[in-house]
Order: sequence, then structure tokens, then C-alpha cells
Amino acid sequence: MAADTSRIAIPAFGTKGKLWLGLLATVIVAGLAAWGYQLTTGLVATGMRNVFSWGLYIMMFVLFVGLSAGGLIISSAPKFFHSHRYEGFARLGVLVSLACITVAGLLILPDIGRPERLYQFFTSPDFRSPMVWDFGIVILYGVLNLWYLWLLTRRDLAARGSPLALGVDDTDAGRERDRTLMFWTAALALPTAVALHSVTGWIFATQIGRGDWFSPLVAPVFIAKALVSGLGLLLVVSVLADRLTNYEVDREELTSLGKILGVFLALHVVYLLAAERLPHAWANHFEFWAITSGFLIGESVYFWLWTVVGGAVPLVMLMIPSLRKRVSVIFTASLLAVFGTMFEGVRLVFTGYEVANIDLPPGISLGGEYAGITTDIWATAGAYTPTLVEVVVTLGIVAFGALIVTLGLKYVPIQRVDGQYATDGGTKERQ
Amino acid sequence: MTNYGLVIDQERCIGCQACAVSCKQENNVPMGQFWNRVLTEGGDKIDTPSGGYPDDGGSGSLDMQYQPTACQHCENAPCVKVCPVNATYTRDDGIVEIDYDKCIGCRYCMAACPYNARVFNWDEPEHMPEAGTGDVAARPQGVVEKCTFCSHRVDEGLDPACVVNCPADARIFGDLDDEGSTVSKYINEYETDQLLEDRGTNPKTHYISGEMSPGRPQTSDKMESELDDVSPWSDGAEDVPAEASESDSSGSGGSHHSIEGDAAPHVPAVGSGGDD
Ligand code: SF4
Ligand code: SF4
Repeated sequence: MAADTSRIAIPAFGTKGKLWLGLLATVIVAGLAAWGYQLTTGLVATGMRNVFSWGLYIMMFVLFVGLSAGGLIISSAPKFFHSHRYEGFARLGVLVSLACITVAGLLILPDIGRPERLYQFFTSPDFRSPMVWDFGIVILYGVLNLWYLWLLTRRDLAARGSPLALGVDDTDAGRERDRTLMFWTAALALPTAVALHSVTGWIFATQIGRGDWFSPLVAPVFIAKALVSGLGLLLVVSVLADRLTNYEVDREELTSLGKILGVFLALHVVYLLAAERLPHAWANHFEFWAITSGFLIGESVYFWLWTVVGGAVPLVMLMIPSLRKRVSVIFTASLLAVFGTMFEGVRLVFTGYEVANIDLPPGISLGGEYAGITTDIWATAGAYTPTLVEVVVTLGIVAFGALIVTLGLKYVPIQRVDGQYATDGGTKERQ
Repeated sequence: MTNYGLVIDQERCIGCQACAVSCKQENNVPMGQFWNRVLTEGGDKIDTPSGGYPDDGGSGSLDMQYQPTACQHCENAPCVKVCPVNATYTRDDGIVEIDYDKCIGCRYCMAACPYNARVFNWDEPEHMPEAGTGDVAARPQGVVEKCTFCSHRVDEGLDPACVVNCPADARIFGDLDDEGSTVSKYINEYETDQLLEDRGTNPKTHYISGEMSPGRPQTSDKMESELDDVSPWSDGAEDVPAEASESDSSGSGGSHHSIEGDAAPHVPAVGSGGDD
């Protein structure tokens, strides 16, 4: 096999590339420093308190778990059906998924009060806890992404003599075998992705004590959200990589994925949201117009950021035929979809903590000099604003994800250049 | 099996906060945190009624009640089910407790508890005085803590601190599985509610409202099981056993709380600094 079956997106870092790496390194170091500070002072350095006891870290965890879906699904679904559609996105997609699930997993660390005791997950797990399920599935998903990325690229890595091939040789027989393995990996990846998003949804959906969290719709909504935001992010990253590196997007595939994003948006923001809201609006109001407005009008600014800026606007952009073929439109719509989805997670956490079930005065003790609106130790409702420490820690972790993608573009042949490359395996069994 | 529960008579509660304060003191609860809170049902502020003053010879509509609230020790405790590392668990005697050496501080249990009964040590806990108070070791930064029904006292055959320190006899602790215990009798006899019953957590804390119970007339240092002749159904005065006055002299507390047989833990004596 010739070495030119694949392409490396960043052969060498230029000045801009080095500046970018420098920026990422700075943000990561700042994040580490902020986490160090938080470890010494305690979580009092965050905006969280007794009533509102989960904040930015969990909101962003929810976002990044969702973001990790797109790439893996776009690269494994066609492989499962022996199609070579979207092949141009396959490797980049898995790379982005890997980065996102890493970010999601790392975001849990600063949220934990005593991270040094995390080994308890192994020594003393309670299998009733959705958090244990999620812990397992996040790790499985991360390992699966890593394996899949390596599987997709190892023969090309070998052809280039990269040590990342880990001793695998580039042979025709080997490539044949890998196609079978890819099929089976794809077959495993799809249910794992579904499980990941459902289980993450169930962390919230099982809780009878937290308002709207307790809803059987949360898991399906998490899946739809993952499709929207994951695909959105993949499109954003691929357009950026196309502009800034040697990676090339196939215009036709990009437009086609843009259309799919439109369908996902319609399913998520229009259909599932309506399905969730209508019964409540109907049950709580009497007059026709009261029901209608209860159905249509959301309760918070997060709701509007999510449904309009992150839902309706990109949906319209992707629906108008004259617009949706433009790369700039696809890029903007995708960016908005990711941005809007962020507020869905924010809104979810707020709906759980804003209202206390028992809100009689004086209320609940907050447990720390509260830096927010109230001045005494009591609160009858939840209030939350992230602190600078939380923002910097989060940015540091996100920068680490960006570093993974950047290094992936540098060291992994991220694009095939020989076109046809369908999987094999499922059909063979049946023959 | 023993299954401890608490009955709180909201008709007897006078809102004095003695239970909240004695809980804080007994359990060495850090500054800025409360395990047990006496909430006001009525106006927007603590100790304020809802409604208005009577004018023009009317009767007015002022209304106020107190709802002492701590961990409800749920039978179907969501906090136990969510704890990923088994740090929160239900003891054999029904008390929901946290192993502070295991808790990783993920705060999933705080999300799970519908009653906001749990508090988290956001920073290094502060105590006044610095050495701490009561009989329970301080919990470190980064873990969740909450009411334990004073399991350290229960293990010694004593009622929880909030129960003995309630001057209105509004709190009664005992074994829900024992038909003859005062808690069981009261739950059968009076109209009792559990908080947020619709959530299906089945709390072991029951609230009496409507008709007032006779409270806990025992002022003796004897175990309840020895007080069979004392009827909780009478209005109290003549039920006070003769021994009560004798025990008044033993001011030290503790020494006379030995348990005999498998008697359920109950009222410490007058002299123990609680009821007097
Ligand atoms: S009241 Fe809250 S902390 Fe106590 S057992 Fe019930 S759920 Fe757990
Ligand atoms: S904070 Fe501690 S007690 Fe609560 S769920 Fe997490 S590990 Fe369990």
C-alpha cells in the first residue's frame, strides 16, 4: 500500500499554529492553577451552595457528553451499513468525539469535593446509582473512541512509519481485516452512544426531588440533543480545519450533513420540546389562549437562548434552499446549534435547583459566606452565578480538548484520499 | 427489627428553635450550616403569620405554624440510592447515615433529597468554639453531612438531642416496628402526615397536626418500657411517676442511662440537661 492513501492535516506547525498551541497551553496552565486554588480553598471558590449544589461543571459535562456523540455516529453509522458515505468526516469525527468525551470526563474532577477518594468507584460502587452507570459508560465510550480512531488510521500510520502504529504493519490482508473490525466496532459504537446519552439523561430523570428533571422524556431528549450538538460541532470543526489546515471538506457531503442537522434540529427543538411542554401547558391552564401561551412561551432567558438562537434560527437557515448550500451558512447554523444546546444544559440544572420543594422561611442554610445576592446564610430558593475560578477551570479543560484535536490533526492521518472505503464483515457472515 | 422513627407534633411545637440549636451543638455542626431547621408556615419571614389582624370586631385571619425540618430518614431514600460509593446507607435500625470517610463529595445526594436536608462542607468547617461542641467528631471539607437521628446517642440508649431538648414535648422518638412504642401509638391515634408524601420517599418522620397529642409526659429517668403504667393518653400531670422527683438530684447525666435488656432507647433523665 502506498503512503498516499491518507493525508495529515497539519504537516508542521507554522507561526499561527505555534501561537495557537501557546494559547492553548496558557489556558490549560491557568485552568490547572485555578483548580489548584479551588482544591486548597474548597468548593467555596465556586458559585455553588447548599440549595444550588451543582453548577457550571455539571452543565458543561452535560454539553460535552452530548457533543461527543456526533462524530462517532457520523463515522460509525455509514460503516455499519457498509456505506462509504461521509467517509471524509469519519476520522475527524472520531477525533472530535474522543476530545469531547475526554473533556466531559475531566469536568467531573473539579466538581468532586474529595477527588482523592474517586477510587471508591471501584472499591465500593453502588450499582443502583445512575452515577455509577454513567461513570462506566463514559470510560467505555472514551476507550471505544480511542480504539476506533486507532483502528481507522493504524494502517496509514504504519505506512508512514509512525510509532503510533504500535507495531502494526501495513498489509493488504491487514487492511481487509481492519474493515471487518471496523464493522464490528461500528456495531458496538452505536448502542454505546445511545446508552451514554440515555444514562446521562437518567442521572437527572430519576430524581423525584428536582422539578422537571423527573421526566421519562429526558433520556430521548438527551439523545436528540446529542445528535444536534454533536453534528453541529463536527461541522464547525471540519469547516475550520478546511480553512486552517490541509484537511479538505467535501462540499457535497457538508451540504448533506447540513440538511441532516436541520432534521435533527426539527426533531429536537420542535417536536420533542412540544411533546414535553404540551401536556403541562394543557393541564395547568384552562382557556384556549392560556394553554397556547403556556405551551409556546418559555420561562427563562436560557429557554429563549436555546430554542430561538440555538433552535429556530439555525433551523430556518438550514431550511431555505438558497441559503443552506453556503458553507458560511452551514457553519453559522452549526455554531448556533452548539451554542443553543449549551443553554439547554444550563436550563436543565436551573429548573432543578431554582425552586426548593420546601421553601418556608427562613429556608435552607447555604453553608458558606454567600457571595451572591443574599447576604445571610439562609435561602428559600436557589441562585447561582459561576465564579471566575469555575470559568477558568472549565476553559482550561476545554482547551485540553482543543489540544487533543490539534495534535490529532498533526499526528494522525485524518483524511483518506482514495475515495471508496466501505466496511466489510456483516455481509461476509451472511454469505 | 428495630426501625427508628420520629413523630413531631406541630400543635405542640412553640417554634422556640431549641431542637435546631441543640442539634447544632450536639452534632458539632459547622458555622453557616444547619441539620435541623424550624420553619415557619405562615408569613414570608421566620416567626411571622400570614393573614391579617382582626378589625371592626372581626375575627382576623392570622395563621402561623411551625414545621421543624431535618433529614426525614426516608424508607425509600433517594439519597441512598444515588450515592455512587455507598457512603450514604441505611443502617439496620432504619437510620440513614453517611460514612464521612467514604463520601467523595459529588453532591448527587443533595440533588436527590427532596427536602434539602443535606449540607456540604464548601470550605474547611468552622466551629465555635474552635474545639467544637457536643459528642460528634467534626467532618472534613468536601463531604456532605446531615442529621443522623443522633445515632451516637441512640447507640447508647439515649433519645436524639432534639427530642430531649424540646421543652414542648413536641418530638417523640422510637421504634416504628414496635406496636407498643409511643411513636407507633401516636401514628395510629392521631392524624399524621409525612412531608412531600407524593414523592414516594416514605419518610420515617411523621407530623401530627389537627388534634394535639399529650406529648411526652415522662419525666423519669426510667426507660419507656418500664413506664407501662404511664398512659400517654391522659393529660399528663398525674402520670408523672413518683421516681421523677428522686432523680432530680443526679445532675451529671449519662451515668443512669444504661440500657437493660433490649429496651428501646428512650428518655434520659431530667438531670441530663435536656428537659429541665
Ligand atoms: S430526607 Fe433527604 S437526606 Fe434524609 S433520608 Fe430522605 S432523601 Fe435522604
Ligand atoms: S456526596 Fe458523598 S454521600 Fe452524597 S452521593 Fe456523593 S459520595 Fe454519596
